Amino acid sequence: MTYFPEEVVEHIFDFLSSHRDHNAVSTVCKAWYRVERLSRRSVFVGNCYAVRPERVVARFPGVRSLSVKGKPHFADFNLVPDDWGGFALPWIEAFARGSPGLEELRLKRMVVSDECLELLARFFPNFKVLVLISCEGFSTDGLAAIATHCRVLRELDLQENEVEDRGPRWLSCFPDSCTSLVSLNFACLKGEVNAGALERLVARCPNIRTLRLNCAVSVDSLSKILACAPHLVDLGTGSFTIDHPAEAYHRLINNFTKYKSLKSLSGFWDASPRCLPAVYPICGNLTGLNLSYAPAIQGADLIKLIRLCLKLQRLWVLDCIGDKGLAVVASTCKELQELRVFPSDVCGAGTAAVTEEGLVAISSGCPKLNSLLYFCHQMTNAALVTVAKNCPYFTRFRLCILDPGKPDPVTNQPLDEGFGAIVQSCKDLRRLSLSGLLTDQVFLYIGMYAERLEMLSIAFAGDSDKGMVYVLNGCKNLRKLEIRDSPFGDAALLEDVGKYETMRSLWMSSCYVTLKGCKTLAAKMPRLNVEVINERDESNEMEENPSDLRIVEKMYVYRTVAGPRNDAPDFVWML
Amino acid sequence: MGGRKDGSPSSSIDSSSHPALSTASSLSQPRRDLSTDLRLGLSLSTSSLQDGSSSARDDWPPIKPLLRSTLTEKGHQIQRQSATFFVKVYMEGIPIGRKLDLFALDGYDGLIKTLRRMFRASIMRPDIAQMPTNKDHVLTYEDKEGDWMMVGDVPWEYDFLPPLLILLPSILNSICH
Repeated sequence: MTYFPEEVVEHIFDFLSSHRDHNAVSTVCKAWYRVERLSRRSVFVGNCYAVRPERVVARFPGVRSLSVKGKPHFADFNLVPDDWGGFALPWIEAFARGSPGLEELRLKRMVVSDECLELLARFFPNFKVLVLISCEGFSTDGLAAIATHCRVLRELDLQENEVEDRGPRWLSCFPDSCTSLVSLNFACLKGEVNAGALERLVARCPNIRTLRLNCAVSVDSLSKILACAPHLVDLGTGSFTIDHPAEAYHRLINNFTKYKSLKSLSGFWDASPRCLPAVYPICGNLTGLNLSYAPAIQGADLIKLIRLCLKLQRLWVLDCIGDKGLAVVASTCKELQELRVFPSDVCGAGTAAVTEEGLVAISSGCPKLNSLLYFCHQMTNAALVTVAKNCPYFTRFRLCILDPGKPDPVTNQPLDEGFGAIVQSCKDLRRLSLSGLLTDQVFLYIGMYAERLEMLSIAFAGDSDKGMVYVLNGCKNLRKLEIRDSPFGDAALLEDVGKYETMRSLWMSSCYVTLKGCKTLAAKMPRLNVEVINERDESNEMEENPSDLRIVEKMYVYRTVAGPRNDAPDFVWML
Repeated sequence: MGGRKDGSPSSSIDSSSHPALSTASSLSQPRRDLSTDLRLGLSLSTSSLQDGSSSARDDWPPIKPLLRSTLTEKGHQIQRQSATFFVKVYMEGIPIGRKLDLFALDGYDGLIKTLRRMFRASIMRPDIAQMPTNKDHVLTYEDKEGDWMMVGDVPWEYDFLPPLLILLPSILNSICH
């Protein structure tokens, strides 16, 4: 192949769709490396500290689409202190200088300032797509800059970010000439929105297909918007409650009846059960439904709705659906591929909402199920064995038993056998989260059978270092390992230090790893960054020479070619 | 993670017996005593998770902040809210009407029964074939287009009824089924 002209090789590389394939071909020989780097249009950086932004720009001058991830996953659950890092500014500055042809930017768990957004707006004339997921540090003023200056903006997708509200004017900043929007998602904004500006914006963008509104958009406004956006495929409603049903509601039902193209529904902020029938007319077409932000809608109303959703492939609900509701899902939604059941009661014990029964029902009714996130009050080994038999195609299996360390309530045994059955049966399993009472045995099974496993989340599990070692030795494709509150210490950490260079990252918090262990790891592996995060206030313990025998509260290890980072706050020690 | 301080392993095991200091490979000898201690250490932390009386933890269960804040806000509101929808019902010829909460009723059956009781009138139902008599009334409403329609054809769940209903003597219509 090296005798082909470069244009031919480049053309062939165009057919490669995955980042991994691109990465692989670039390592074959110098010629291919050269062709690949010049022709690469899309780059994915899984850890923003693994490589310097300038290096990415230098190597891939033709990049049009960049995706970068910042904080470790456990940051979603408040385990990473706020100022830890993950700043987007260096990336945007580097690209503004070296590659301003960038058209698409996707950032996850990063700190994005208004200054970043202003740079994006002003220095990237072809900027089309901005997706921010679980980011923070910006305000609606930054959004105003994007709206004002990005003349060919196609997508503005804000998912679960923490955005400071500086008023509704940002939406009015889209000029009248902006007609290119295809996707607009501002569901995570808490503040008021200029309804008139929103309606006019939607009306002048004929290609709009995804629209997710925030809780400040009224039902009235929704009706008007639906009337002028007949081709919407993905809708996130605004507020879904009204005081006097008749007028606005009647209109809403009328609008929904006309909607043939709507496939995905979400939002339902403040939804009251009385309003739910408005969407009955389109349920038969839905492939995606997210009711996880509607805690006022209880089991019976959910069931009435679900019975109409015969084509559903993706369902996100709260556990008030109950085992009975899940049985209805099982008998109705034969096309179901992804199910997420979230806990509705986060403050106390509460009444048991879903148990192993619901999951077993789903597994027997929905054979296409491949992705699960299930918060429940209890689980049995027998149920997991049944689920494993019924659904061998799981790629993502995340089970969270709300009471940590809870055994099988029927047999009082740990759940090792149940999870063992899952990893043995589901050969394509890429992501797994464990919970319940678990011994080292479950890790033995995972090491033995979970060959394709890429991400493993462990909480309150295991007996000894053996558990962690089984996983490190066995899972050849492991990329991300995150552990909290488990009895793994230095011996496990240091068992196979080379392993961490084959992985993206390791997180351990509230385990038994000591400062000495971390220092040893850092000394042996210069191409790993070993970060120790100490939140405890500087008291007597934290003098110049803290005892190496001290257990570290939080540790984050990741491979990098960028060396130690220079933007770490005081409480993060780079070893 | 202030709530965890008591349960952290370092407080239940002192450094001299710490597993990390053992020079022998920790894999070869299962240390039963220590593992009991370890389990104790961990169970203290898990029991602090179960303590319903303390304020909710922000790191368990592992859900994202947006969902957490939505549930804690709305959780309080749900108990208080019970939606009502009062409609006025007049019988033709009688100037004083009655009010009833449609949300408290169970479908058209409940509506008709309640109205029968309130007005002491017999009320026709569209789904039951009956010969109209002098005493029968029919429940009607004015829809969006200004047409007068009989209540009962559109499914109850659609919740579309306006806030004013009128009971008309059925002799005025020639509704025959």
